[in-house]
Amino acid sequence: MTVVGADPMAESAPEQTGVADGAKRASGPDPWYKIIWSSKKARVGLIVLAIYILVAIFAPLIAPYPPQQNTFTPLLNASWSHPLGTNTGGQDVFSQLVYGSRVSLLVGVLGGTLATAIALVIGLISGYTEGTIVDDVLSFLTNVALVIPVLPLIITLVAYSNVRGIGLIVGVIAITSWAGAARAKRAQIITLRNRDFVTAAKFSGEGPWRIVFFEIMPNMTSLVAAAFVGAATGAIGAEAGLAVLGLGSNDSVSWGTILYQADAAGAISQGLFAWVFVPGLVLAVLITAMSFINFGVDLLSNPHLREG
Amino acid sequence: MTATVTTTDRAATGGPLLSVERLSVRYEPKRHAPTEAVSDVSFEIRPGEFIGLIGESGSGKTTLGTALLRLLERPGRISAGRIVFDGTDITDLPEDDLRGMRWTEISTVFQSSMNSLNPVLRVDEQFRDVIEYHTRRRGQQVSDRIDTLFDMVLIDRRFQRSYPHELSGGMRQRINLALALAIEPRFVLLDEPTTGLDVVVQKSILDNIRRLQAELGFAVLFISHDIGTVLDLSDRILVMYGGRIVEQQRARDLLADPLHPYTKGLLGSYGDPRAETVTITYVPGRPPDLTAGYTGCAFAPRCPEAIAGCRSVEPPLLRLGEHGGEAACHVAALQRGQGERSGVGTEEVGPVVRGFAGPQFVKTAEDERSLHDREVLLSVDAVSKTYLRRRGLGTTRTEAVRDASFVLRKGAVTALVGQSGSGKSTLARMITGVESPSTGSVTFHGEQGSFAVGSRRGRSLRDYRSHVQMVFQDPYSALNPTKTLGYILSRPLANYRGLRGAEARRAVLELLETVALTPAERYIDRFGYELSGGQRQRVVIARALAVEPELIIADEPIASLDVSIRAEILELLNSLVRDRGVTILYITHDLLSARMIADDVVVLNQGRVVEQGPALEVIRNPQDDYTRLLLDAVPNPTAG
Repeated sequence: MTVVGADPMAESAPEQTGVADGAKRASGPDPWYKIIWSSKKARVGLIVLAIYILVAIFAPLIAPYPPQQNTFTPLLNASWSHPLGTNTGGQDVFSQLVYGSRVSLLVGVLGGTLATAIALVIGLISGYTEGTIVDDVLSFLTNVALVIPVLPLIITLVAYSNVRGIGLIVGVIAITSWAGAARAKRAQIITLRNRDFVTAAKFSGEGPWRIVFFEIMPNMTSLVAAAFVGAATGAIGAEAGLAVLGLGSNDSVSWGTILYQADAAGAISQGLFAWVFVPGLVLAVLITAMSFINFGVDLLSNPHLREG
Repeated sequence: MTATVTTTDRAATGGPLLSVERLSVRYEPKRHAPTEAVSDVSFEIRPGEFIGLIGESGSGKTTLGTALLRLLERPGRISAGRIVFDGTDITDLPEDDLRGMRWTEISTVFQSSMNSLNPVLRVDEQFRDVIEYHTRRRGQQVSDRIDTLFDMVLIDRRFQRSYPHELSGGMRQRINLALALAIEPRFVLLDEPTTGLDVVVQKSILDNIRRLQAELGFAVLFISHDIGTVLDLSDRILVMYGGRIVEQQRARDLLADPLHPYTKGLLGSYGDPRAETVTITYVPGRPPDLTAGYTGCAFAPRCPEAIAGCRSVEPPLLRLGEHGGEAACHVAALQRGQGERSGVGTEEVGPVVRGFAGPQFVKTAEDERSLHDREVLLSVDAVSKTYLRRRGLGTTRTEAVRDASFVLRKGAVTALVGQSGSGKSTLARMITGVESPSTGSVTFHGEQGSFAVGSRRGRSLRDYRSHVQMVFQDPYSALNPTKTLGYILSRPLANYRGLRGAEARRAVLELLETVALTPAERYIDRFGYELSGGQRQRVVIARALAVEPELIIADEPIASLDVSIRAEILELLNSLVRDRGVTILYITHDLLSARMIADDVVVLNQGRVVEQGPALEVIRNPQDDYTRLLLDAVPNPTAG
């Protein structure tokens, strides 16, 4: 067998010897932050979220009083010293609102992370082992979690627990909201697990754990991110909902608890609109901002959307 | 039948049916530099003419086709020029007016036969839909028309009631062809209609197209990366490179006197597997990056005939051939005394060479390795594999492999040849230990003694893979897009050879050097998508080599690469056998590549081994009809 003239040619052709450095790099995919930022809605969402985060971090500087301080005259109207007035318990509503953002964001981050983590582990393992007993068990679990009426379950869990801290709220929200995302992850990994690069990883001697979490999962980062933003949004809403029902954490102030107190005190019938509407509005704006961010995250997973 | 009548009239008058004037297409993504995918392209198609449009992936041929159909989507748009169809300028024609022309005047068959039929409708309903929308035929008339169309593409009428997924890829593509011809259009655009189908099916579809075109007289623009498949069908050939037409000639002139070195490179990828000495060339390097821009001729960096002027002056498309053949090449222009018009004056050039003067891969009859004194590495003894599938009340038996026996010898290449569905992949799965034979046995004769391969799981399968590795068909899906080459290559090193850190890095660099990705430091932090198809396939081969296996199973490793670079990968595999003594099982449907690389050939038809023996003997003197069928299906423009 003879090979003629192969090597000198390969050397002399510049493109053969290397990928043109700068130019080639630039034509690769955009970094994720640029893609998200390219969406106008996501930009608005990110700016709003950033404001909320700053408020939460600097709450002690922004809020004029500690949130639990109840030494003011009850039911004061809005004024310079009490921008949103005081409530029936003699607390400053504006300070409560500012501190409340801490609880909402914390629950959003922790609840979103926990729910996404459960969904990932169960969904990915179940999808990767599709058709085996492991998948049967995990899918059964997912299906049960999907059909259980969530609200009564949450209420029961919270109502019967002794300590009602943020940890409990986060935990309850996470274990009641992972199932849908787990189903989605299972479906996604089923489409990916027969790709040649997965077979190639098996030939490289990788075990199933590494294949699922190191080879396949990075290919669905954008979907995981979208699921996380969705789960965090859901968690924020769920926390507020629980608090409105009087099942909130009882050692901290959240927007939900403000609404609960306002409702209990009959704020609307007394004409104390700021007490009711401002926390509701603040919550609605945050949830809208989070949904806007997801428009940007969607661009990551679906390049077709990028040319709007 | 009015359409046919006018076609003949027009053919007589000789006016063009479709004329493309200085067409440019730009992709203007929001956050990237714009790319001119098609630049300044002009050509005409006369009624009933068959034009081949050839180019490698990324040459802009599909973009051009899409633009002609006015199906470009954002961010792509026609940035300059005109498309005139039968006297009507359709460049800016509104959608509503286009709708009336589509299918009745212009129709198309897309590349992916899988996706262009609606999966939830039966085939005849899709025909009915098209026919009833565009004609006044109703009821029985429509059914008659569908019958005629099915007869035209030689498909049994009973398949009219099938769903697309129930049909084979070849049948689906014929149905797409029949659908494209349903309203008797005057122009049909065929965009790689046979890519992904195996050679025998490809040949029968091409024969079908040729016959129908002769009978019905429609004009065709046939887009392909494989000049061999279209050369003898076409009246004229357009060769595209880097978004421009670099050569335009009548097919037989192009074959006799190719003007552009790129065309010579494309033609050089073919050979006659039966010849005493087979020489195939390949075009090294990668296609130009159109976003980066270039000066001079886009092909110059890969061109073996390039002169200084090629790198500074862009060559215009000039009439250079005797029969009106055109090419955009300084060298060809100078050789024909047209240097002034080409813009390079009187630079010195060598004489006209007919072939591609680049790297070549030669296989002579003497190269055959003598095998029978070599030890057996793996033996397949009387292996059968039957799949049982429960369907309703009964079970259906599919015999994928029947009583197959052959051996793989150390340091030799054995080609397993057959069409899709012949049982090649099932045999490969049994040899890699993923499945076990229903009867018979696969035995591996390794350094630590012989053992049956059988169906392995977990640790035992993992251990077996230190002996047997795989090279995949599609290098685009075989590399994880989220990992660098360094990571991809370091994993088998860590898992099987316990190499980590600096040691592993050194081994990775060595592997990259082995597969000629040099300098290796420049590749180690790259991602797969930054490389060309051929380079990716090199990485896949490097990964297979990482565990230092005794046997590599190469499953159609060149089938999804451009024809012009296939020999490059064959050459690499060949050098591995020569220098490292690796044994290769080369799975293919293409007897030319089998002839180039294999020592032994095993021909498989419907699960049975129909013929086996030394490659040269089997190919030059085939005993079985099926082997002859495969041989006849090898496209070979140079033979005609």
